[in-house]
Amino acid sequence: MPYRTPLVDASQKPGAPGLRAPPVITPRNVCAGHGVTRAVALTAQQTRFTDRETLHASLGLIPGWRVPSTTNADLGMGVVGVTSTDSAEPARSNQLESEQIEPSPEEAAVDQNETPEQRTARFERDAMPLLDQLYAAALRMTRNPADAEDLVQETYLRAYGAFESFRAGTNLRAWLYRILTNTYINGYRKRQRQPVAQPSEEITDWQLAQAAQHTSSGLRSAEMDALDRLPDSDVKEALSQLAEDFRMAVYLADVEGFAYKEIAEIMGTPIGTVMSRLHRGRKQLRDMLTGVARERGFLRDAEVAS
Amino acid sequence: MSCGNPHETDCHQVLAELWLFLDHECNRERRELLQRHLDECGPCLEEYGLEEHLKALLARKCGGDHAPDALKQRLRESIRQIMVRQAVLSAEVTVQRAEDGSIVEVSSTTVESHAWLSTER
Repeated sequence: MPYRTPLVDASQKPGAPGLRAPPVITPRNVCAGHGVTRAVALTAQQTRFTDRETLHASLGLIPGWRVPSTTNADLGMGVVGVTSTDSAEPARSNQLESEQIEPSPEEAAVDQNETPEQRTARFERDAMPLLDQLYAAALRMTRNPADAEDLVQETYLRAYGAFESFRAGTNLRAWLYRILTNTYINGYRKRQRQPVAQPSEEITDWQLAQAAQHTSSGLRSAEMDALDRLPDSDVKEALSQLAEDFRMAVYLADVEGFAYKEIAEIMGTPIGTVMSRLHRGRKQLRDMLTGVARERGFLRDAEVAS
Repeated sequence: MSCGNPHETDCHQVLAELWLFLDHECNRERRELLQRHLDECGPCLEEYGLEEHLKALLARKCGGDHAPDALKQRLRESIRQIMVRQAVLSAEVTVQRAEDGSIVEVSSTTVESHAWLSTER
């Protein structure tokens, strides 16, 4: 039990520096070692709010969202904290400079009114039913079931840790996807053995322009029929071939039905970037699927317009 | 590029915004304009149909995976363990604050947590 290892002597007099001015514990500090101490316990409440503010800042665009407050200490396991992405870094340093670590009265009221049992029940009621969806998304991200399980588990534990501050009425599904994406990008992907395909940003304008032209009349219905005949595995495989950012944008828009604004929030990018990724991803996907359909003999060469 | 017929909006422009239309991401005015074009332009409507088809195809074929039951079970267990740990943590905070001279108030939540857990088991 890491909490039992006192760093700060509990018998210290009131007002002793270690108690009166505890260090701000950041998630990174807590995650960094096993020396979770009495000092951590003493500042746990403070840590939680600090962490939450940081999370909120990193989630940024979504009102009512908060960063998961879970740490290794909370979870008692090797969960990676919210660390070191380009977008999260500035938010963190801002937070560390900030004096404001107490929750707003509104937040405090919410916190006090809900017991851990009630919160757990709320989480199980609201978040657990979304597990299959999150797993499917994780599967598209990681491209293998074992990694998808690990990613979803980590995501859900972090989400549970932050659920205290999740405001009912905001978009839980998007919130969970955001944590999934963050967990994947910040921690998980670095450990993944499978090399990650980088998005090919060099796609030329002619490809975009090409999308804005009519194909030869009469061929589109043949293409449509051919695509319909493709087995699920072919379509999934084609999607998995897309560069990661394109793949996620297409998945979130077409499979999950998120709006551009939500995808932007989940992926932490401007809406214009989402549109660009969607545009390119869909174009590549269509070309790939048409190619597969042709290989399968569902579409004769003459029927493929471009 | 145009289909050759006169339209209020050029085909090229319509095709460029096809996905916005398909994703319900354009405003009402723009939407009505594009809709009018699609109503009167066969080639653009066909192109729209294919993109719509592709979108539906993806939704149909790329989702619907189910998380393994073992994962669900493992998660539920982990979450309940964490809940108890948090209750213990809050109890320690309360005790230490008491030594600090603050108002002593031992949380009954801790007791309830353990009781709750033991009945669950």
